[in-house]
Parts: sequence; C-alpha cells; structure tokens
Amino acid sequence: MFGYIRPSSDRLSAEERERFRSVYCGMCHTLGRRYSFFTRFLLNYDFTLLAILLSQPEAPECESCRCIVHPCKARQAVKSGQALNLAADRSMILFWWQLQDHIADHGFWKGLKYRLAALLYRRSYQKAKSLVPDFDETVQKHLLDLSQREKACCASIDEAAEPFAALMADIAQCVDDPIRRRILSQIFYHLGRWIYLVDAADDFTRDARNGSYNPLRYRYHLTSDRLDAQTKSLLAQTLDQSIRQMAGAYALWDYGTWTPILDSIFYESLYGIGKAVLEGRYHKPLRTKRLEKNNRFEVTV
Amino acid sequence: MTDPYKVLNIPSTASDDEVKKAYRELARKYHPDNYHDNPLADLAQEKMKEINEAYELIQKQRKVSPGASGYANYGSYGSSASGNSVLQQVRLAINRGDITAAERLLASVSEHDAEWNFLMGFVASRRGWMDEAKRYFETAVSMEPNNPEYNAALDSMNRVGYRPSGFGSFGTANFDSASCLRICGTMACVNLLCGGGYYCLPCYF
Repeated sequence: MFGYIRPSSDRLSAEERERFRSVYCGMCHTLGRRYSFFTRFLLNYDFTLLAILLSQPEAPECESCRCIVHPCKARQAVKSGQALNLAADRSMILFWWQLQDHIADHGFWKGLKYRLAALLYRRSYQKAKSLVPDFDETVQKHLLDLSQREKACCASIDEAAEPFAALMADIAQCVDDPIRRRILSQIFYHLGRWIYLVDAADDFTRDARNGSYNPLRYRYHLTSDRLDAQTKSLLAQTLDQSIRQMAGAYALWDYGTWTPILDSIFYESLYGIGKAVLEGRYHKPLRTKRLEKNNRFEVTV
Repeated sequence: MTDPYKVLNIPSTASDDEVKKAYRELARKYHPDNYHDNPLADLAQEKMKEINEAYELIQKQRKVSPGASGYANYGSYGSSASGNSVLQQVRLAINRGDITAAERLLASVSEHDAEWNFLMGFVASRRGWMDEAKRYFETAVSMEPNNPEYNAALDSMNRVGYRPSGFGSFGTANFDSASCLRICGTMACVNLLCGGGYYCLPCYF
C-alpha cells in the first residue's frame, strides 16, 4: 500500500481528528503486539482507512499507550479488536509480497536491502500466512497477474489496475453481512484502482527515466518524461469516476461514529490528494511541518 | 415497518418542513442518476423505496397531501431498444444482473455498431473499468450522435455525483487548491521517524 489517503483536517473537529489518530496509534500497537516491533514500521494511512471501514459504527474502546515516539506523554489508542487485527494481518501479507516483488525485480546489489528486510520479516509473514491463508493466496495470484500485465506493457489503464483493485476488493471477503460485503467490495475495488492510478501518476517521471513500465505512458501514448495538461485532465476524469463509485457505495451503509472522517475522505480529500499528485505537489517528507501551537503535524496539499 | 422517522434520520417532533428537507436530502443521495453505472444500483433502489414509503407514511399520519414524492425512477435497460437478437439477450442478461453472460454474448458479436459499443461500455462500467467504459460510450455517441440513451450514458460518466450540503462540487482537476486543503497528518509518528513511512523500508510498489 502507498499511504496516500487521509481526511482533510479542516472538515474535522478536534475530537474527530483525535479519533482518527487513535485508530492510527491502535493499528501501530496492534502490528507490534501481533507480530514484532519491526512490523510497526509498515503502518501507513491507507491501512488506517481500511481499519475504519472494517470497524463497527459504535465509538471504539480506547486505551492509554506509550511508545518509542511518545515515551513521555501517553496517547489514546483504539484497543486491538477484530477490525484492527483484520487490517494488520492483511497489511503484513501485502508488504511481504511487495518485498518479494522487489527482490525479483532487482539485481544482487540493489536487491540486497530487500533480502535483508525479508530476513527480518520472515517470521511475521509466516504467522500472518497461518492466520489468513486465503488472503495470502489471493495476493500471490493477483500480484503475479499484475507483473504479467506489466511485462506485456498493457495499454489499458483499467486492465493494468485490475489486479491491485481486485486484490483490494477481496479484503471485503472477511465481512459476514452479505450486503456490507458487497458495499465494501465496491469501495475497496475503486480504492485500489484509485491508488494504483495515483501512484502511476506520481511515479511517471521516475519510470520514464528508468525505462520502467508505466500504464499512463502506453494508454496516452506519451513520449516525454512529464505528464502533459491534456493527459492530466483525462486522468483526473477517470480518478473522479472511481471516487464517485466509492462515494456511491459508501452512502449505502451507516458508519455511525466514523461518518465525519469518511465524509471528509470520500467527498473531499481524495480529490485534493489526486490534484496534488497530478501537479507534483504531493511529497510527504517535504511537506510535513510542525504546528507549534497544538503539537499537530499537518500536510498542506 | 420500521419507524419512518428513523428512516429519515429525524426526531418524531420534526416540523413538516424539516421532514421535507430530510426527505429531499436523502432522495438526492440515493437518486438513480448517482447509481446509473454502479453495480450497487439495486441497493440504492431499495433505500429509495424505503425513504419514499417513510415519507408517505409520515405525510399520511400528519394528514398532509404527499406532494411531489417518488423520485424512484430506477428504470431497467429498455430491452425493446434493440433490433439485434443477440444484443437483445445482452440487455436481458444485464437486467438480470448477469454481467458475465452479457460479456460472453457481446464477445460473440462481430458487427460492432453503436449499440454494441454502448452495451460494451455498460458492462465495462459495471466491472469498474471506467476509462474503457467512457471510450465505448464516446464511440457509441460518435456513431449515433442523436441517440438519447447513449448520450445519457456518456453524460452520466461526467456527472459530479452526490455531495452532502457544505461540500463543494469540485473534481480532481478543478479542486480549489487556493483554499489549501490541509490533509490530516495528526500523528505522523512513524512517518516522521522514517520520512514518510515507506521511505525507511524498501516498501515501494
């Protein structure tokens, strides 16, 4: 996963921002408890959203936690429960197969760091695999499909995005209620499609310089190493369509306490993030600035 | 039946105007236009039916004439439109919700006329292949520019969709960056430690 998706903080009250943070902290602690200290570094925002979408509508139970980043002041973190565990297991498995993909794609020296990481995470992966063997198989199948489509220089962005989108949609299989499963499956499919395409736009220049496959280059017949205005506009339209599909599906279920956070994501921030990526303004480390007043970190898009 | 006020998400003490306002907001949310190309259209149709019934029931209880309710115009995909018998079967399969059968039938057609392109677009949109869907609809419209069905399908691809009041009707391209959307990064602990979460680790795919 890539870590693009966050709510827009202007839409949220202090209490709701705190709730989003407590899921993030809860995910981090869950990864640490369930696997190992190092798996906590796999955490990203997309999995926080996944945990929220899999949560029950009621306000979650929280606990006070300290961690290496916040050793002095304890933070409220959502207690490990079904939703966090589901998201943590899937996060671990996805990470592992991405790692394997990198090992396969790089030579001995460049792939060394990936192999070292694989050594570090092998035990955690084996535990995750024993917990969710079906998801492990699904991810392998779809990532193999993805690499085949990439090798064949697939010229359809929908076809190229399909394996990752279908993999995400499969996460909904863990939900018992058939209607909720259908809704989440639709949200996850388009979330996967959106993430894949946004990432393709984000990586476009790098891929063009490295000579790596990028679906946008074949779909829009691009020769330069930058996206032109017309391509950006066409891509924005197709991203909008995925967001609209997600929002339509999202409207069909009651998310209770999570509604303001999810509203701000599906009705606003996805558009802003997409625009920032298309304009090349979305780069987290450069944009994170500390706000003195309330000790919050914000990203300006 | 479930409490009609609960369906409209209002207290039973709400005034007539508040009832109407709540009904209109929900009718806007589940309007068929928002679900034209969405595989969950049947669920939205059910929601629409529920809120229509709830609204009518409240009106009846309050002895007000129901007025203009009944937005629930979820039509089927007019199976009469087709002259080609295979394409007729494709429409029937779509109405049954059997997209795989529709796809198989479409693949067996050798003549790719405007209607074939339109139906291919519809099947693509049901699968979530929005870019392909748009291209098929564009082809259908360019072959038969005056066909209202094909034009409606293409228009629906460019629609903004439902937003609750208070949210702007922007898209990715015209998102107002001057308003400087602040994306919540309230915790950013791991991300700060290692510069963006995945930068510290070889996780980047």
